[in-house]
Amino acid sequence: MDELRPVKIVARVLNDADGSAYIEWGKNKILAGVYGPSECVPRHEQSLYRAVVRCRYNMAPFSGMEEHGRSGPSRRSKELSKVIKESFENVIISENFPKTQIEIFVEVLQSDGGTRCAAVTAAAVALADAGIPMKDMISAVAVCKIDGKMAVDPGKEEDNFGESDMPIAFSPRTGELLLYQMDGLLTRDELAEGLKLARDASEKIRKLQVDAIKKVYEEPKEERFLIVK
Amino acid sequence: MPGELLSDRADRIAYAFVDNGKAYSTVVGLFAEGKLVPLEGPYEPLPEDYIVGIVAEVKFSGYSVDMNTAYSAFLSSREIRERYSMGDAIFAKVSMVDEVRSVEVNDAKKLPEGRLVKVSSVKIPRIIGKKNSMVDTIKSATGCDIFAGRNGYVWIAGKGNANLAEQAVRMIEVQAHTTGLTDRVAAFLKSESGKQQ
Amino acid sequence: MESINEVKRDSLLALLSAGKRADGRGMHDYRKITLQPGVTQNAEGSAIATIGKSQVMAGIKFDIAKPFPDRPTEGVLSTSADLLPLASHLFETGPPGDESIELARVVDRGIRSANIIDLNSFFIEAEKVLALYIDIYVLDHDGNLIDASSLASMAALLSCRMPKIEEGKIIRGEYAGKLPIKEKVVTCTFGKLGERIFLDPALDEEKGMDCRLTFATTSQHICAGQKGGWGAFSEKDLLHLADISMEKGAELRALLPG
Repeated sequence: MDELRPVKIVARVLNDADGSAYIEWGKNKILAGVYGPSECVPRHEQSLYRAVVRCRYNMAPFSGMEEHGRSGPSRRSKELSKVIKESFENVIISENFPKTQIEIFVEVLQSDGGTRCAAVTAAAVALADAGIPMKDMISAVAVCKIDGKMAVDPGKEEDNFGESDMPIAFSPRTGELLLYQMDGLLTRDELAEGLKLARDASEKIRKLQVDAIKKVYEEPKEERFLIVK
Repeated sequence: MPGELLSDRADRIAYAFVDNGKAYSTVVGLFAEGKLVPLEGPYEPLPEDYIVGIVAEVKFSGYSVDMNTAYSAFLSSREIRERYSMGDAIFAKVSMVDEVRSVEVNDAKKLPEGRLVKVSSVKIPRIIGKKNSMVDTIKSATGCDIFAGRNGYVWIAGKGNANLAEQAVRMIEVQAHTTGLTDRVAAFLKSESGKQQ
Repeated sequence: MESINEVKRDSLLALLSAGKRADGRGMHDYRKITLQPGVTQNAEGSAIATIGKSQVMAGIKFDIAKPFPDRPTEGVLSTSADLLPLASHLFETGPPGDESIELARVVDRGIRSANIIDLNSFFIEAEKVLALYIDIYVLDHDGNLIDASSLASMAALLSCRMPKIEEGKIIRGEYAGKLPIKEKVVTCTFGKLGERIFLDPALDEEKGMDCRLTFATTSQHICAGQKGGWGAFSEKDLLHLADISMEKGAELRALLPG
């Protein structure tokens, strides 16, 4: 019930992006890339006081088991782009870079339930890899209710047939929730139990994020490759 | 790591922020003796920094310079005697940074024909070395002239082995945080110059 | 800073006139190439190809579709390309631009002309055929996306599984053997600046060059060609490059699985 699917995180996998990270979470395979701070375009969207944070969550047409995906962002993708952007707006110290933009791109190469938590986790590592100053490195994990019990990290099956789904992103430093969504039916006690499960699990995820970043410096490479196997 | 506790007091540390009387890191960096050195990050121009820039646009009263920052950099024609054209590489000094981060440079000189290598600005001190030691090693081994700008632009000029010089610069960029780098770079240059004649 | 192209052109010309390339390569040398076939499981076929620092992923999915009215027993093959914004500071979000459309069509042309997939075997019943979608996902741009995309697509095709079909529907997660591929198609792309022609242009070279030429080849034939850019090639150039493409094509084919 408190077991996470296997998670693997690698930082600095792309050459052009300012920062990047790749995550395998269960059968999810997600790539995150960051550019910035760079000149804010279009000009009329820039802020004189801070960097504008942008985020695009996108699923590859071949990422799902079912049909070939349609091109263009779906409503779900747009919602996730917004929700993920807002979690990072909270921690990125954007006042340091007025009139600029910081872009976060997340591409889902293979999906299997819980992509938004994996996306946030990878994006946080990509931002740290780019050296963008943040108050914290966010980690995210989802909890669900199956057969009346609260459990951590549902896979796609459990996602579809569970009684409740609650993805959460934490700022480990303060314990604050930066991303919170929930559907289904929960009692107040179940909610409290779910939050605790999520918090404990997010600590494990945080350790993997830190290890991924340390590895960049322990094994320095000149050419970066995304190695999926 | 971003968010990691550095000190229990509200110390003012560069690249850190204070919350509730404690200091926390904002970047991935090395923390020693009260100083936090970031391992990555965008270049933040300071007056007196020497930079390498490329003339991006010729304007009425001066030039717009590409310095690898998100902000514009301007060189006034009144500050220099020569005329530049688009694409010229220059070595200049940051004279002013205003509240909206626009930069002005002066004290410019045009650089000879060469190539630009973009590196992460935080690695530049390592590429230059103590008292220019590292950059001098590369210069003598390759016969190139090297200008390292604090903004992360390195200009490699001259008739020497530019390819080898670029490889050495990239090698330092990737291994900047390690020890024994000076010896490894010297050894690399020695073995490669033998091969690439 | 696209106006910097002029500068790139001059310094590139200077290097090339001396018979050299920025990274020390020969005029007909490829950068280091790596291939990873079968990288994802939800797609029927997939692969990642890297050339130097460029990294491209290709994914293949099958769907049931209506055949084209003039070819009622033939399956559908469709190739598209996405220049992802995370691949380069030069790429923006938005609908596919001219560059990505050209990229997809060039890769598609080679595969289609060489007839390496038997589209007639995709017929299921009246008004129902299999459609094979190749999606080229450019992950990292350092030049020569055409050759990287072709390699990724070909490697994905070679490791592609046929979906199981029951009563006119695809049973997802179950497979019926591998997709039969008759031949391996690869592309060789050359850049030209002034009189100098060089294979596998890196991004810096692409920024300064006048034009490019791509040839797709099988072991016996040249099966597609595409010129891009404003410069020009002579007939002699074309024949010379066709020869090199056949030679280099064999080397590339040897890297592909199967």
